[in-house]
Amino acid sequence: MSVPVTIADDSAFSRKTVMRALPKDWDVLVHEATNGKEAIDAVKAGLADVLFLDLTMPEVDGFQVLQYLNENHNKTIVIVISADIQPEAVELVNSLGAYRFLKKPLSPNELHQALFEVGLI
Amino acid sequence: MRDKLGEELRDVLQELMNISMGQAANELAKLIETKITLSIPHIVTITPEEFAEIFDSADRYWFSRQSFLGSLRGEVIALLSKSGTDTMASLMDYPLPLDDATTEELILELANILAGACLKGFAEQLELKANLSMPTAYRPAQDKERQFRWDSALLMEVEFKVEQSMFGSKVLICLEDQSVDSLINRLNTLLE
Repeated sequence: MSVPVTIADDSAFSRKTVMRALPKDWDVLVHEATNGKEAIDAVKAGLADVLFLDLTMPEVDGFQVLQYLNENHNKTIVIVISADIQPEAVELVNSLGAYRFLKKPLSPNELHQALFEVGLI
Repeated sequence: MRDKLGEELRDVLQELMNISMGQAANELAKLIETKITLSIPHIVTITPEEFAEIFDSADRYWFSRQSFLGSLRGEVIALLSKSGTDTMASLMDYPLPLDDATTEELILELANILAGACLKGFAEQLELKANLSMPTAYRPAQDKERQFRWDSALLMEVEFKVEQSMFGSKVLICLEDQSVDSLINRLNTLLE
């Protein structure tokens, strides 16, 4: 069965970059979210067993999404993909329970490696 | 320019700027061991009058200029806030109090880190060459003869704020008309 995956990023270009970088043979059902609120809605609707999450987004940002998932003991596997690569952002994201932190520009190899390590492929 | 860019290209450009400023902020954050807050980049075309207005804020900002040549040609202008200069100086191990010479050294070093990393990240992602010169301080009141030659410019503005200090900086990338065309071509390739 296809894995429900949500890509949350306010930039259409960025979402496209993630989509292109997904392994070709990974059976997924991709949903897109343009801000943190839509990302949370997607999680609630069961559209995000895996969530690729940007940090700087309007309305509700990526940190708040992680906070929400953390407080609700949600099992979504979150892989953060961020342009803010400062050590503090990485630490905060890890403490909030994200599985991996990937920096932008996204390298398809790094993404595949992360998915492999987490046990998704 | 606004029309020339369109919604889709603007999104790509904004994302590329986002990534470049992330890299620039990380460079500075590592150096001063303090978190930097980033704004969402702002991309506009401006008239010469609007451009001139930038330098009306000389009571609040130091300015630096750095030109770049290559397949992208233009100029990077950094605005560095006068507030928080002393905090930045001590974070960067400059002796206090600052005199005119050390102040200039500090602002040029900061401009070089932020503007340099910003432009480098931007050009790398586009796979375009842009060789940056060393920054020079710009004093709008004194340096009247060093005119800007931008009739119209694509201006990409990013804003950095250093947490726990009053310091902030803006980096403006101005592109020559020809470079705007090369830029648009590259952006279209990225979208294919």
